[in-house]
Amino acid sequence: MADDYPKVDRVMGGASGWFSIALPAVLFLYFLGLVPQIAETPQVRGIEWVPSLGIGLSVLLDGLSLTFALLITGIGTAVTLYSARYLGQHPDYPRFVAYLMLFMVGMLGLVLAGNLISLFVFWEVTTIASYLLIGFNADSAKSRRSALQALLVTGTGGLILLAGMIVLGTVAGSFELVEILSQGEMLRDHPWYLAILLLFLAGAFTKSAQVPFHFWLPNAMAAPTPVSAYLHSATMVKAGVFLLARMNPALGGTEAWFWMLTLFGGVTAVFASVMSLRQTDIKQVLAYTTLMALGTLTMFIGAGTHYAIMAAMLFLVVHSLYKAALFLMIGIVDHATGTRETGVLGGLAKAMPLTGLAAALAAVSMAGIPPMVGFIGKEFMYKAGLGLGGFGAIWVTVMIFAASVMMFVVAGIVAWKPFRGELRQTPHAAHEGPWPMLAGPLVLGALSLIFGLFPGILAHYFVGPATHAVFGEVREVHLYLWGGINMALVLSLLTFLAGWLMYRRHEAIRDRLTRIEEGSRVNFDAGWDRVLDGLKALAAWQTRLIQTGNLQTYMAVIFASFTILVGATFLLRGGMGSGINYQADGIHPIQWTVLALIAMGAILATITSSRMTAVAALGVVGIGVALIFIMFSAPDVAITQLLVEVLVVVLVALVMLRLPHLPVRSASGFRAGHAAIAAAFGILSTLVMIAVLQTPFDRRLTDFFEIASWPEAHGRNIVNVILVDFRATDTFGEIVVVVIAAVGAYALLRGAPGARPTPEDEEPAQVAAADKGEKV
Amino acid sequence: MELLLALTIGVLMASSVYLMLDRNVIRFLFGLILLSNAANLVIFLSGRLTAGAPPLIDEGAYAPTGVVANALPQALVLTAIVIGFGLLAFTLALVYRTYRSLGTVNSDEMRLAEPVSAPRTTPHPDPTAAPGTPPASDPTLDKTDATTTPTGGEARA
Amino acid sequence: MTGIDFSTILPELWLAIYALAALMAGAYFGKDRIARPILWASVLALLVAAFYIGVTERPDQVSFFGMFADDAFGRFAKVTLLLAGAAVLAMSADYMERHALLRFEYPILIVLASLGMMLMVSASDLLTLYIGLELQSLSLYVVASIRRDSAKSSEAGLKYFVLGALSSGVLLYGASLVYGFAGTTNFAGILQVVSEGELSTGLLFGLVFLLVGLAFKVSAVPFHMWTPDVYEGSPTPVTAFFATAPKVAAMALLARLMFDAFGNVVADWTQIIAFLAVLSMFLGAIAGIGQRNIKRLMAYSSIAHMGFALVGLAAGTAVGVQAMLLYMAIYAVMNVGSFAFILSMERDGRPITDLDSLNRFASAEPLKALAVLLLMFSLAGVPPLVGFWAKYGVLTAAVDGGLAWLAVAGVIASVIGAFYYLRIVYYMYFGAETEGLTSRMGAVQYAALIVPAFALLLGSITLLGLDDAAAVAAESLVGALTAAGE
Repeated sequence: MADDYPKVDRVMGGASGWFSIALPAVLFLYFLGLVPQIAETPQVRGIEWVPSLGIGLSVLLDGLSLTFALLITGIGTAVTLYSARYLGQHPDYPRFVAYLMLFMVGMLGLVLAGNLISLFVFWEVTTIASYLLIGFNADSAKSRRSALQALLVTGTGGLILLAGMIVLGTVAGSFELVEILSQGEMLRDHPWYLAILLLFLAGAFTKSAQVPFHFWLPNAMAAPTPVSAYLHSATMVKAGVFLLARMNPALGGTEAWFWMLTLFGGVTAVFASVMSLRQTDIKQVLAYTTLMALGTLTMFIGAGTHYAIMAAMLFLVVHSLYKAALFLMIGIVDHATGTRETGVLGGLAKAMPLTGLAAALAAVSMAGIPPMVGFIGKEFMYKAGLGLGGFGAIWVTVMIFAASVMMFVVAGIVAWKPFRGELRQTPHAAHEGPWPMLAGPLVLGALSLIFGLFPGILAHYFVGPATHAVFGEVREVHLYLWGGINMALVLSLLTFLAGWLMYRRHEAIRDRLTRIEEGSRVNFDAGWDRVLDGLKALAAWQTRLIQTGNLQTYMAVIFASFTILVGATFLLRGGMGSGINYQADGIHPIQWTVLALIAMGAILATITSSRMTAVAALGVVGIGVALIFIMFSAPDVAITQLLVEVLVVVLVALVMLRLPHLPVRSASGFRAGHAAIAAAFGILSTLVMIAVLQTPFDRRLTDFFEIASWPEAHGRNIVNVILVDFRATDTFGEIVVVVIAAVGAYALLRGAPGARPTPEDEEPAQVAAADKGEKV
Repeated sequence: MELLLALTIGVLMASSVYLMLDRNVIRFLFGLILLSNAANLVIFLSGRLTAGAPPLIDEGAYAPTGVVANALPQALVLTAIVIGFGLLAFTLALVYRTYRSLGTVNSDEMRLAEPVSAPRTTPHPDPTAAPGTPPASDPTLDKTDATTTPTGGEARA
Repeated sequence: MTGIDFSTILPELWLAIYALAALMAGAYFGKDRIARPILWASVLALLVAAFYIGVTERPDQVSFFGMFADDAFGRFAKVTLLLAGAAVLAMSADYMERHALLRFEYPILIVLASLGMMLMVSASDLLTLYIGLELQSLSLYVVASIRRDSAKSSEAGLKYFVLGALSSGVLLYGASLVYGFAGTTNFAGILQVVSEGELSTGLLFGLVFLLVGLAFKVSAVPFHMWTPDVYEGSPTPVTAFFATAPKVAAMALLARLMFDAFGNVVADWTQIIAFLAVLSMFLGAIAGIGQRNIKRLMAYSSIAHMGFALVGLAAGTAVGVQAMLLYMAIYAVMNVGSFAFILSMERDGRPITDLDSLNRFASAEPLKALAVLLLMFSLAGVPPLVGFWAKYGVLTAAVDGGLAWLAVAGVIASVIGAFYYLRIVYYMYFGAETEGLTSRMGAVQYAALIVPAFALLLGSITLLGLDDAAAVAAESLVGALTAAGE
């Protein structure tokens, strides 16, 4: 990270710096104190959160969560100490600390959660914190893009995970992990098992950057180096692995589980280790080896045997130790020399001996060379792989072999090559890093050695309890440096040999890979851009299609969907019941005339080009309707209808006079599409009406009014009684409606429009100038 | 008769939908008037038809003697007519107002919300309608349109 | 059915009398001199009504010959919509005055609209429903085009009116069909008719028509088209009102109609609701992505949110209704806060609404930006903010109701939808350096931004007791049904 920011005078980041170091340190010590107790018996503690939704904030403390908690707080202490020196003088350092602490709390919550929903909540907290930290250099467009990409990929995965959790919680009848984990057999046989599994895997694979969702992780290296060390190698990206491990007793052990995890994990591991050789920026190299480690972990959790789980848990610790150390180390180198390019660096061992020592310790562990703990990790992975039956054994072992060879090579590239030989020219003169930055990598490197020499501690307190939590039953875990001459050892030796050979030729391999990559058309990062562009195009497409801003289109869409909806219902439900009993006799000629009048009036209003004819035709329709009311015993209604009709005609005519020079004729002539919609709608109305008439009428309410009218309301006109007595609220509402209509008309017409010179439209209206072409 | 009335309702509905789909708002208004007539008939017919027996209770009786017409739909139709009228009066005011401020009654010229590239052909309103104060198709507004970036519509790339 | 008991409609009467009195006062004192006092008096009148409804303990009952239901469900919805209305009215005072939009009709129309909505949520008769709806719609048509000098506002008003009138017509048509088939307009009566047999084809039509009419009002896809245009074209305070109270009312009305009248044939209508919900969630989420105008964006946001609320309803259970009510209450709070901010966005004294103007707002006004961040995260459904619990509630209800596919669809839609809320945050914190905006706020408006924002944060711990109230309300709607059915 370049130092081109205005520096603020702060020793070790000032108060926020000290706070950020103290908090994880204290928590680390607290969790360390819990170790002996939890190693014996896991615990669940709980408090209520949202009781009505059945969500508690229970805490599940077992070997797995405690191991993670120690990694989070322990590496957290190293990282905060480091960044207090690394970024302490950055003007936005307090903001950085706030994000980092937010992340740490979220991550701790995630691993300690005893409930699926609270686990998810913390899961998303880490996603957001990661977003904020990657985008910390907001001035750089690249880091803004990377931040958003990481957020969208992991956030999407998180929400899919939520869907899985909801389904799982429903199936299991509880969101409490303890209860879910005890129902493994039922869950595995459930018809929704596969759906749950896929939803969970989507969440875990995006978070832990498995191929094909891996592309965000190398981009996330835009974050400051301590963030990369902490979030994007040691902790956050392992949340997906954590989830898989956590759910293993409930969801694991099926064919689907085995193959999904081993395939995705294996492909990720090998793909990433090849890609890591391709990089020249050491931070990118490390990013890809992180991917590789995540793939390996996924693969072993998928393999599911006791040995495999144990290997996974062991490798989890091993990897966190060496990878965090290496990231911090490269940060120091970058800080001191101004570059991270492998081609430029060399001979740093003399100028930076302590950094070199830390790098050596970590890298030897990474390469899997005894007596480091990395060697034990590799041995057990081979043993676990060989212990699987059938084709699975071959697949896993081959993948591990390939990945281990690459790790050996990468260890050479990142920690051997830059330090040996003659000191090379770098942008800044190389110098040893300050102690707060060195402390972390040195301690972590030393731990790799100590655990390698005394694997019993690791086995008893961490790997054993964690394996127990993941595997679900207690079996003895025994780790050792020397296991005699066996197949695993032979493979180890072969690994060293192949690794050494490849390291010798790694620059040639890199050139070769570069050429292959340039020729290849598969580019996940560009694919991501295409997905986003596609979404935007989809949004624009629907706008063009539906949201045209044209009222006519809206109406057409609405009437069409409406007609389809009703028509479909009609067809599906078999619409008409019995046939139509039609009797033409008994219809008086006057009735014929009135009906014909109404129909003709309506048609005339539709086809006429003169607005006055149209108004007259509407009047005819209204009067015809009034006549119908008279004929069928509704004199009150008829009178009202006539009155209103006269008023309507007068009002419309008045307004017409105020709208001069505007022909009422449809400018577009006959519109066949609209006519089809209209005809369909008319036919449906008739059919539905006939269906109404075929149903026997339920007269209960009518009878009630007829009987109650006089005794209860002392009215002889039943219609009036209904209006003023039985439906008083309606009439009250009706009056208010008329009042509002009057107020509305008044409000609209009061003060002639344009009377007041106005500044502008609400938004600068854009009409003629807006070019559709420049819109997406 | 019921069947014929149902057919008439169909014709009314079809005409009103066709009118409402017109881009001229005044024709939409005509459609609305037809629609409210059709809806009233639907309510009325739904309560079934009875000829020559208004729902009245004879002097001295406690309940209607013999079969009388269904009173409930009549009450409903009365309410609907009154509301429909209120709505219509308001519509007229609105159409008039819209014409005064937009200078058009054609809905496809009302495209401020989702502008199209075609130059707008707003007919300038009759100057006698609003003396001295041209409504919103006023040239100052159009000038603003030409100089400011579009913000209301969809995103630019 | 009990007879006439005026105490049940006391709040409605109070608002009606208040509105008429205010109207007379406005007409008497002439013009808009007393617009401001009337506005504040209206806020007070709404608050008094809300307070009365919220505080008085009354048994659930149906009065006026079965036309008016006074129950916990209605009370919950009424308090929510009245408070939202009062908040929006209060925070719009400054804006309306500054832009010379404050006329005395405006607050009165808002009160009348609220009155209509109260009738809507209490309606237990199709005609009462229709009248309440008309009352509300007419008032809204007027306020949508209250800005007489703006072409956009006129256009928005007309569009809203045309489509709204259409939906009212469809609703009325549906009501008359239901009457034709059931012989009654009373919800309880319809329920009885339905329970005697299964839903006849004819009633199903009536139901579809009613649903379509109401789908307009809640702007559910494919009957949503008016929303973006009207949101953008109306003056911002009016948009804020549109986005809050009427949505709550329409959703409550939908729930009441479905359960009180068609509660015995849940399976028939939940399918339609689920269909509307899926379309709304996805269209709202996808179409919002391309928007550059924050008001249009909020329009799509509300379409998507209505989709989620419908998911709760689609579950067809008491838990679903509870989740829906909770969702709507939280939705109202989030929108009040968001619009308090949108109202304040100006540059050189002119209101602006383009998203680009938010660039780097965080460095200018950190506290306001933080509040907006909380609001946006909550709208996006990012845990642990309350917006997440709202989504969580409806999705769980859907799964419980056997609609797991709907829940999964909801999750996917919320993923897509989160994109545009986060983009606002992104602009505020990481945007390019461009011409910024000034955020001008009075004290009330400031409170209307800050209080909801931090309530969302606080609510993540306790949900503010809303969940219990919603549970009681849902029980009063759905529980009564199951009790009657047994």
